[in-house]
Amino acid sequence: MTYSGIAAEPRHLTVVARRPGAVVGRQAARRAVRSGAMWGVVFALFVIVQTHAYTATYPTQAARNQLLSAYGTNLGLNALLGRAGAINTVAGFVAWRFLGILGVFGVLWGLLTSTRLMRGEEDAGRYELLQTGATTRRRAAAQSLAGLGAGLCALFVVTALGVVVTGRGGSVGFAVGQSLYFAVTLVSGAAVFLAVGAFSSQLAATRRQAATLGGVAFAVCFAVRMVADSDASLRWMVWLSPLGWIEQSRPLTDPDPLALLPVLVLISALLAGTLYLAGIRDVGAATLPSRDSSRPRLALLSGPFGLAARLIRPVAAGWLLGVAAYAALLGSVAESSVHDSTGSSAVQQGLGRLGGHGSEVRAYLGLTFLLVALLAALIAAGQITAIREEEGSGRLESLIVRPVSRIRWLVERLALAALVVTAAGIVSGLGVWAGSAGQRGAPGLGPLLAAGLNTVPPALVLLGVGACAFAAWPRHAAAAVYGYLAWSFLIEFTGAIVRTNHWLMDTSVFFHMLPAPATGVNWTGAAMLTGLGLLSGLCGAVLLNRRDLYGD
Amino acid sequence: MDGPAIRTEALSKRYGSVDALCDLSLEVSAGEVVGFLGPNGAGKTTTIRLLLGLARPTAGRAEIFGLDVARRTVEAHRRVAYVPGEANLWPSLTGAETLHLLGRVHGRIDAAYRDTLIDRFALDPSKKIRTYSKGNRQKVLLIAALMARADLLLLDEPTSGLDPLMEQAFRDSVREAREGGQAVFLSSHILSEVEALCDRVAILRSGRLVEYGTLESLRHLSALTVEILFDTAPPDLSAVPGAAHVVVDGYRVRLQISGPIEPLIQALAGSGVRELLSREPSLEELFLAHYGPGIGAAAPADLQNVAPMPSASRS
Repeated sequence: MTYSGIAAEPRHLTVVARRPGAVVGRQAARRAVRSGAMWGVVFALFVIVQTHAYTATYPTQAARNQLLSAYGTNLGLNALLGRAGAINTVAGFVAWRFLGILGVFGVLWGLLTSTRLMRGEEDAGRYELLQTGATTRRRAAAQSLAGLGAGLCALFVVTALGVVVTGRGGSVGFAVGQSLYFAVTLVSGAAVFLAVGAFSSQLAATRRQAATLGGVAFAVCFAVRMVADSDASLRWMVWLSPLGWIEQSRPLTDPDPLALLPVLVLISALLAGTLYLAGIRDVGAATLPSRDSSRPRLALLSGPFGLAARLIRPVAAGWLLGVAAYAALLGSVAESSVHDSTGSSAVQQGLGRLGGHGSEVRAYLGLTFLLVALLAALIAAGQITAIREEEGSGRLESLIVRPVSRIRWLVERLALAALVVTAAGIVSGLGVWAGSAGQRGAPGLGPLLAAGLNTVPPALVLLGVGACAFAAWPRHAAAAVYGYLAWSFLIEFTGAIVRTNHWLMDTSVFFHMLPAPATGVNWTGAAMLTGLGLLSGLCGAVLLNRRDLYGD
Repeated sequence: MDGPAIRTEALSKRYGSVDALCDLSLEVSAGEVVGFLGPNGAGKTTTIRLLLGLARPTAGRAEIFGLDVARRTVEAHRRVAYVPGEANLWPSLTGAETLHLLGRVHGRIDAAYRDTLIDRFALDPSKKIRTYSKGNRQKVLLIAALMARADLLLLDEPTSGLDPLMEQAFRDSVREAREGGQAVFLSSHILSEVEALCDRVAILRSGRLVEYGTLESLRHLSALTVEILFDTAPPDLSAVPGAAHVVVDGYRVRLQISGPIEPLIQALAGSGVRELLSREPSLEELFLAHYGPGIGAAAPADLQNVAPMPSASRS
């Protein structure tokens, strides 16, 4: 027999966290710092490689002046990447190129990271669990923001390291202070949209809604900045967009740190709004009204294909509207964008890789459709992420435990994504046609539709590659497909301006796309790319049929 | 081609160096309700995922009504309905839309029975999934599975999140399924649920099948946890046949008793028993008692008074 005393034994509690209220922040910080550091490495490498490529390709001032005459007055490029005023200097090129490209990547990183770590955690129910600890709703939100801030710091530190290292190069020569200020401006867009994402996370009922709200905000800011950079008479509009404020900070060339003041004010206001809303709303609820019930709408819900169509409908509609608006905008400035550089041999030389033999307007539109191809590829990459999310969340199981084969499911899902990508190609052609109608040298509807369709095959290849990645490494599918897209994008844009190894160029999904309407469409090549995409997609479906399903 | 509802032969699954399931061979007949028991991580969910073809076996094979699950997955799925332990559904759809979708994907449903089930489980189908509680999401999956009238129901902890009233509704539904000739494979931690519903029970431990038989044949596993409060110093009960893990705490004694309880009752006669509480051991205690290192730490939280002693009064 065993005997025990009547009194309960004293409990010995061990302190495992000195500040238990900071657990939320540490959780957010761990993930944000990892992500920020990873993207910082991408930023730093991009800065190092592109700056080196610029100095190697344009070693003389004469060559740099030629570059300026080719691109400096191109309104299309100015609209897209910001004003290219001083790209005949290393500092001017670096500031223009990296703010234009990495600034946008930073915005996307900020928006997606903050909505994922705030609203996404709430959707998953994990945030609620942490909220039951020694904290309050408002304090937990502040902790999350602090975690996101740590991620932003990681992005800044690694990026700054890359800029400082680049700046110390003999042919570059940036002072450390200059480099650090430039790194601040590079991550400013990310900072603004981290705050935008945090704020929209308080407004929306789901992470997807929060990201969509933030995406709309970004689209408006970008469009306003584009318009401001497209027309000198509308230059004042640059002060209506946070992206314009960042552009006005003019790092490396003519620094104006005061232009970043409104950025700070906006971020502070958004953070204050985030904390206020976090304190007054229920956990898991939205600030904006959301419908909790509705009459059944069964039209599309007849199977996996219809379900997928219904689920991606809002996202697809957003993309198609965005592509159409973007295409119409660039189409509308086609004639004026080439007007200033007409007759310049440098234009033809600079666009030489595009192989255009038509008018400058057609050459310019060839470049425009290259960017449409990037958007189409982004749609494809997003669809691969959505496909993986279906599996990771466990929802796919609800379908394939019924009489639906995995091959059929994936093929239908890819077909739907291909339809959206194709629709994007068509609306881009229509958009450019609508924007450029009546302009001198502008092609007609037929060639522009063909040019729009010409942007589809690279996206189909990416879709196929993504399907294989999804089937082979499901948990890394998103990283693989976005990594390959980023690689292709960097290779393509590097190769367009500086000399790049041909084998490297071949690895870009965009490289084998001819720049219609600057040239005719190579339908044989397009068919081969489409076939490659289809084949890869089928391979992915077969591979999926031979593996286990995995949750997140 | 028809065969047993489920037949596995040396079914095995290994994840890296971990054997999630080893050489599982069992058979479930049509119209039979089989309980599938085991502690967390025993391999229950792995087994069900292998039966559904969601995971590929490392060795062995699984058949549903004679159909090799690995090769003829879709045909097998036509005869199966499945309820997972975690209800992961599309948050933007309503309950009605989800049921419609899952019914269309399955291909055939009993619409009248679906409506009965919606009433029985008190589900409001107009609400969006994201607004449902865990229990309500589980109800959607239960209704979706039951309305298909599939020949085999694979249920993986299907009542997690359900309240006792809904638990009763679930038991009624499973009984109806059995009466309709459907086979049911029920993985559960709730021993009372399994005892109430199942014809046979399979017990899994560390990926291996350790018991498979009717409930009657498994009775030898059971041991009662007994707690006795005495008016005076308690007698030594460690010598009582079947007694084990005797813990004395002042005038209170707690012990496990295997086999008949009569020797204990005899030993207690004239000992000044004020109160006697007993309960069946939990599933975990059963495992620990028969396959593990003892059950001395069993919590007395849910003791039931099943045998009030004459002249004893409950405090």
